[in-house]
Amino acid sequence: MVRISRVLLKYAGFAIDKTLSEILVCPLSKQPLRFCEKTKSLVSDTIGVSFPIKDGIPCLVPKDGKMLEEEGDTSKA
Amino acid sequence: MALRSLSRRLGSRILSYRSSVASLHSHATSFGFQEVKEEEKSKLVGNVFTNVASSYDIMNDVMSGGLHRLWKERLVGKLSPFPGMKHLDVAGGTGDVAFRIYDAVYSVKRRALNKVDEASLEETQIYVCDINPNMLNVGKQRAAERGLRDNKSLVWVEGDAEALSFDDNSMDGYTIAFGIRNVTHIEKALAEAYRVLKRGGRFLCLELSHVDIPIFKDIYDLYSFQVIPNLGELIAGDRESYQYLVESVRKFPPQERFASMIADAGFEKVEYENLVGGVVAIHSAIKL
Repeated sequence: MVRISRVLLKYAGFAIDKTLSEILVCPLSKQPLRFCEKTKSLVSDTIGVSFPIKDGIPCLVPKDGKMLEEEGDTSKA
Repeated sequence: MALRSLSRRLGSRILSYRSSVASLHSHATSFGFQEVKEEEKSKLVGNVFTNVASSYDIMNDVMSGGLHRLWKERLVGKLSPFPGMKHLDVAGGTGDVAFRIYDAVYSVKRRALNKVDEASLEETQIYVCDINPNMLNVGKQRAAERGLRDNKSLVWVEGDAEALSFDDNSMDGYTIAFGIRNVTHIEKALAEAYRVLKRGGRFLCLELSHVDIPIFKDIYDLYSFQVIPNLGELIAGDRESYQYLVESVRKFPPQERFASMIADAGFEKVEYENLVGGVVAIHSAIKL
């Protein structure tokens, strides 16, 4: 059962990243993060900052965060 | 007459308060023996670890004669890892401590008879947090070499010990091995450690510390300042980084002082154990 779900996870692509967004919080506001499919980054809606994920490693150092200018402007991240 | 002794006592108390504040401030503004701006320190330390990342592990072996392995074993032993635990290893870039914890959890499974709780084993999560991506990449590479590349139990996160990206009361254990010395604001890192630990969670810190034993202290100083920077030059091609390393050890608060800082962060049962006469110390505490 476990093995099947693990295989499914692998093929689900970014499912692992989703798990991360459930565990991690924003380093500045300590509020939950949202995984943004479009930019493949973790977004802290509370303060409007997005954090990149490089090589599968979420970069949650405060100074790595990029401000989100507008609602749909996450392409800047 | 009485007034004079009173003022002297007050004066010494103010002096000791000022010196403790001063020593914290001095840690934040010292890069080894150099005076630097607080904002600069983090960047300078970052450069050191970016430079040494690829030879970090081999330099550890050479500098400590392989002893660092035993020290880390001792650290993990004190942690008593258990299946299903959520553990955070801070400044754990290349994964030394994380891998040991992983092995400890999964080997307990192998040694145990039939009563293995598969489900809780699956829930084991070891987070490796480091501010330096190069160090994390080395760690991930080592994980791949061990066949743990896609293992869900090991999670690599780039983050700052002074501003952790983990929820309050979420970790059963917190370790920081040879990392706290490099943090700009020690008290912030300790406060964050306290925040993320659950009640009953253990804090463990392995760090180079202060040697007081006469003669041995002189030998250790000689080794530190004469031999290590040369080894750094020879093996890592980087004398300055290893000069920083040995200087930063001297500037770090001694065992008792560090223990009181841990207590100030809210921890209880603060203890420390000297290894090799104080060359290394393991500080441990519990969040109650």
